[in-house]
Amino acid sequence: MSDVLRMGYVHARVTDLARAKDHYANTLGLYPTLEEDGKLYFKGWDEWDHHSVVLEEGGVGAVKFGFKVWGADALDGIEKRAQQFGDCTVTRMSAGDNREVSDGVRVHLPCIDHTFEFYHSMTEVGLEVGTHNPDAFPRHLVGVGAPMLDHALVMGEDIDTAARFFAEVVDFYTTERAQTDLSDEHQTIAYWLSASQKVHDIALLRGENGKLHHFAFQMRDWNDILHAADLFAMDDVPIDVGPTRHGITRGETIYFFDPAGNRNETFAGGYTSYRDRPTIIWTADQLAKGIFYHARELKESFTSVYT
Amino acid sequence: MPRLTVADSDVEVLLKPGETILGGLHRAGYAARTGCLRGGCGVCKVEVTQGSVTYAETVAETVLTPEERTSGICLICRAVPQEDTVIAPRPEFKLRCVAPFLAALARK
Repeated sequence: MSDVLRMGYVHARVTDLARAKDHYANTLGLYPTLEEDGKLYFKGWDEWDHHSVVLEEGGVGAVKFGFKVWGADALDGIEKRAQQFGDCTVTRMSAGDNREVSDGVRVHLPCIDHTFEFYHSMTEVGLEVGTHNPDAFPRHLVGVGAPMLDHALVMGEDIDTAARFFAEVVDFYTTERAQTDLSDEHQTIAYWLSASQKVHDIALLRGENGKLHHFAFQMRDWNDILHAADLFAMDDVPIDVGPTRHGITRGETIYFFDPAGNRNETFAGGYTSYRDRPTIIWTADQLAKGIFYHARELKESFTSVYT
Repeated sequence: MPRLTVADSDVEVLLKPGETILGGLHRAGYAARTGCLRGGCGVCKVEVTQGSVTYAETVAETVLTPEERTSGICLICRAVPQEDTVIAPRPEFKLRCVAPFLAALARK
C-alpha cells in the first residue's frame, strides 16, 4: 500500500499576489491562513492542515507539489527507494523549510522537470466545521467555497519514467491511461495515478517539461459545479471548458483560469477506486470523448494552453 | 481613441480608453485564437507593426520576454494600444467574424 495519503499542497507562481488573493479567497472561497514573505497560504473549509495552496509572486506555473504520507517512518523507505530508482535528485528537507510543514523528502524528477515533496505532518488548524457534532458545511462560505484540494495534472516529456517513479517509489497505481492505440508499440499519452481510493491523486500528460496543466479542487456534486460556474460568470473568471463530464474518471468539471493564467479545475464525482480495479484504457481515436464526454471534441485551448 | 487595424483584413476598430486588443475585437464581433485570457500562457501573441501597447496587468517575463516586447510582440488579451496600432497576425491567430451584426455596427 502507498504511504501517501493525498496531494497535500500545490505551490504555484502568480504574477500579482493581490489579484490572486481575490480569486482564491473571494471567488474560490479558500481560507487564507498566512501571508508572509511574498507568499499566500490557503486551505479549504473541509481541510484540517494549515494549507493546501501556496502562491508566490513572480511568474506563472508550478513550483512544486507536496504529498502527505502516513507517519514519519515512511520517509526513510521513500528516500531509499527514490535513490535506488536513480533518475531523480533526492534531498532531505528539514521541518520549517516549508512554513508549517514537517521534515520530509524532496524529489526532483528531471524526466518531467517537476518537484515533489513527501512530508508526514503539517500544523493542524482544524476543519472549519469543527470535530464535535459538526454541521454539514460552514454557514457563511464565500463564493465557490471549495472544500479541499483534489489533484493536479502536470506535463512532461518522459511521463513513462515519471509513472514508474510513482509506482515503484510510492506505490501509486494507474486507474486510467490514454494511449495512441492498443498495439504493443503504443505510446502512452497520459496516466491517471492514485495512492488512495480517489480516482486520481496526480495525472501525467505528455508534453513540455515543467509545465502545469491544472490543479483541481474537490467539489461535492454537480449542483456545486454549476453554482461555481455561475460565480465565475459573476466574477469574470475565464472558463476554459465546462461545466461538463469527463469520460476519463467520470468526473464532473469546470476548467478555468486564475488571474495569472494558471488553470484551475473544480472536480466532482468520479468513482471510488481500488488498487485491484482494472486499469481503464482510452485510445487516441476516442480521446475526445474521454476528455469531454458530452462534446466529444477536443478544444484547442485545453490541449495547447498551460503555464 | 486609438484605432486598431488588423493587417491584410478589413478589420478596423476604434478602441475605448483602456480597452485591450482582444476586447476591441470581441466588441466588433470578431474572435481569435486565445488561451487563458490572463496573460499567462502566451497563446495569443501577435506582432505589432505600427503603434505601441502597454499593459495594465503584470505579464510574466517567462511568458513575454523582454526581447519579444522590444521586437513588437504583444499578448492581445492584455495589451492596451496607446495610439493607432496595426497588428499583423500569423495564420494560427485564426481571426474570424462571429457576430456579423456587431461587425457591421463597428464599421459605421
